[in-house]
Amino acid sequence: MTSIELWNHCENPYPFVPAEVLDAAESVRASLPNKYCDPDIAARLYDEIFEEYQLCDDLGLHIVTNEHHSGINNLWAASPVITGIVARITKKVRILSLGTLITVRPDPVRVATEYATIDVISRGRLDIGFVKSGATEMVSGDANPMRIREREWEAIDLIEKSLTSHDGPFSWEGKFFTHPHVNIWPRPYQQPRPEFWAATSDMPTCAELGRRGIVNTLLFGGYDRTRQAFEAYKQARHAAGLPAPKEDRFSYMAFCYVGDTDEEAFRIGQKIPWFLTVSIKSAPQMSKFQPGQFPPEMAPAAWRAGSSKRPTNLTVEALIAQGQMFAGNPDTVVKQIKAFRERVGGVGRIIMMTRQGLVTHAEAMKSFNLTANEVLPQLRDLPPVEERAAAE
Amino acid sequence: MIDLEILRAGPESGDILLLIHGINPVSPKAPFVADLARTRRIIAPSHPGFGASPLPPDFDTMYDLVNVYLDVLDSLPGTRIAVAGFGFGGWIAAELAVAGHPKLHRLILIDAVGIKIGGREDRDIVHMFNTNPVELDRRAWHDPAKRPAGIYGLGWQAAIGDDMTDDEMIALARNWDSLCLFAWRPHMFNPRLKDWLHRIHVPTLVLWGESDRIVTPDYGRHYASLIPDAVFETIPQAGHHPELEQPAAFIASVERFLS
Repeated sequence: MTSIELWNHCENPYPFVPAEVLDAAESVRASLPNKYCDPDIAARLYDEIFEEYQLCDDLGLHIVTNEHHSGINNLWAASPVITGIVARITKKVRILSLGTLITVRPDPVRVATEYATIDVISRGRLDIGFVKSGATEMVSGDANPMRIREREWEAIDLIEKSLTSHDGPFSWEGKFFTHPHVNIWPRPYQQPRPEFWAATSDMPTCAELGRRGIVNTLLFGGYDRTRQAFEAYKQARHAAGLPAPKEDRFSYMAFCYVGDTDEEAFRIGQKIPWFLTVSIKSAPQMSKFQPGQFPPEMAPAAWRAGSSKRPTNLTVEALIAQGQMFAGNPDTVVKQIKAFRERVGGVGRIIMMTRQGLVTHAEAMKSFNLTANEVLPQLRDLPPVEERAAAE
Repeated sequence: MIDLEILRAGPESGDILLLIHGINPVSPKAPFVADLARTRRIIAPSHPGFGASPLPPDFDTMYDLVNVYLDVLDSLPGTRIAVAGFGFGGWIAAELAVAGHPKLHRLILIDAVGIKIGGREDRDIVHMFNTNPVELDRRAWHDPAKRPAGIYGLGWQAAIGDDMTDDEMIALARNWDSLCLFAWRPHMFNPRLKDWLHRIHVPTLVLWGESDRIVTPDYGRHYASLIPDAVFETIPQAGHHPELEQPAAFIASVERFLS
């Protein structure tokens, strides 16, 4: 039997810059001047979202933090800082940092130290997520966008060794990182280390996650891409002679709003796609022409006219149909999540992006209450997907 | 020596002129190549990761490229080889000349990058990967409307259209990736090179497009002043790629210097 965990992820967006400024800007990430960020508004946003996280702690919804830089899409900026605060203001739920951008951070040992500290403060409630990133983050962090997959894996290896070595300093002389004296204090609370997650739909990376048993989370992948990614994970384990993964190795992030009625949820849910229609606008040199964004063979498809246009009219109905949003009254959302789980071959951890775009604090708080009280109980003790498919 | 794609042109008996390319390999279609090849033996390799040259898995530094070109010089016949480097290739050529090689006989730097001159908040070299391609196109050419068809310099993204083939796009993408691998940070320069340019002991011509706004003629003038007895010349009505935009004036300067 599987019980699906529900996690709340808020990117702390800043949808308060005048539309004419955003329309005129080449990019709303990386290069938008910070004079458009009012610190008083930002302070209110931090207060509101920390309050939402405390409600989630009371309700049993786990919490995800992340980071992006220099843009209207995300005010977290430093995931370990935010996660450290969340560790102190919550008591029960798990906290996932998904994550600090390790391809941008120059010293993985420092990252390991930050995470070990948070794990101790939270008394063992931290999960550590890795994201490769790219695009605007490469200029914001002055990180070479080439070879980031290799750099990410070496960073993960060094972080893991830093977290699990307890007998004095060790030395690291890798391709991307060197450190002659690694000996972090404090050591992590959880043994041998906090759970690792990674966000990717890149098939070779999914396969490697499978071999390592790291939780694979897909962001807005929809039905087919998500199923393919999870299959790559399963097949890699099978090929390596490893046990089949349980559903808790698979996670999926989607937009989500739970209302009293479908009508209410659709109306408020329509405020969420701002994330895709407004907040991802980025300059061509930070997107389709950034080196390393895709293999050279894919350049013609990416560069020819008409490709990579930003969506402008995403509806809740379309996003639900694509498996990128769960929205409706509690029963509707339960049905959507159960159907998604079946279609992707099993998923044990759903990350809900609810406080996104123009959704307000009060609207988010209402959705979390309904989610915890009326959706979560219906996602417990579900029959295994494969077994059910066989029975049918 | 590693495998390299090499463009060869001109009489085998001619004096060798080794061309070290910039953001893209030297195009066999470029008129300046045919003009130089009338009397000279032109050797134009594609750097590792550019054109059809393979990229060894761990290559990612200027150190690798300089040693590749020291190998190239070793492998070429004769004892008096002239080297001309364009843009990013000018940086390689300058490093090569500082390292020194007994066959290196003359050096030409064309709109070269590679050194840091201004203060810490002055950008000497426009960031090629963090500038809108339309702006790169505007800054790289004296007259973008007259850039040669089918030969790609900086701002090539602005030239993408239905007349470009998939193979051309794939090649441009691969070159762009490799350029980034070698030159993202520090962007297009070696902070230490400036202090060692005095070790260049061969006659040197520093040639600059008068309208280059990727690296300005003032930068070129300063570059030349750091190389003993270097000659500095500008080419009117040319930007970052004078060999493509004003091939006749470019050839005249090069031939005058080499003869």
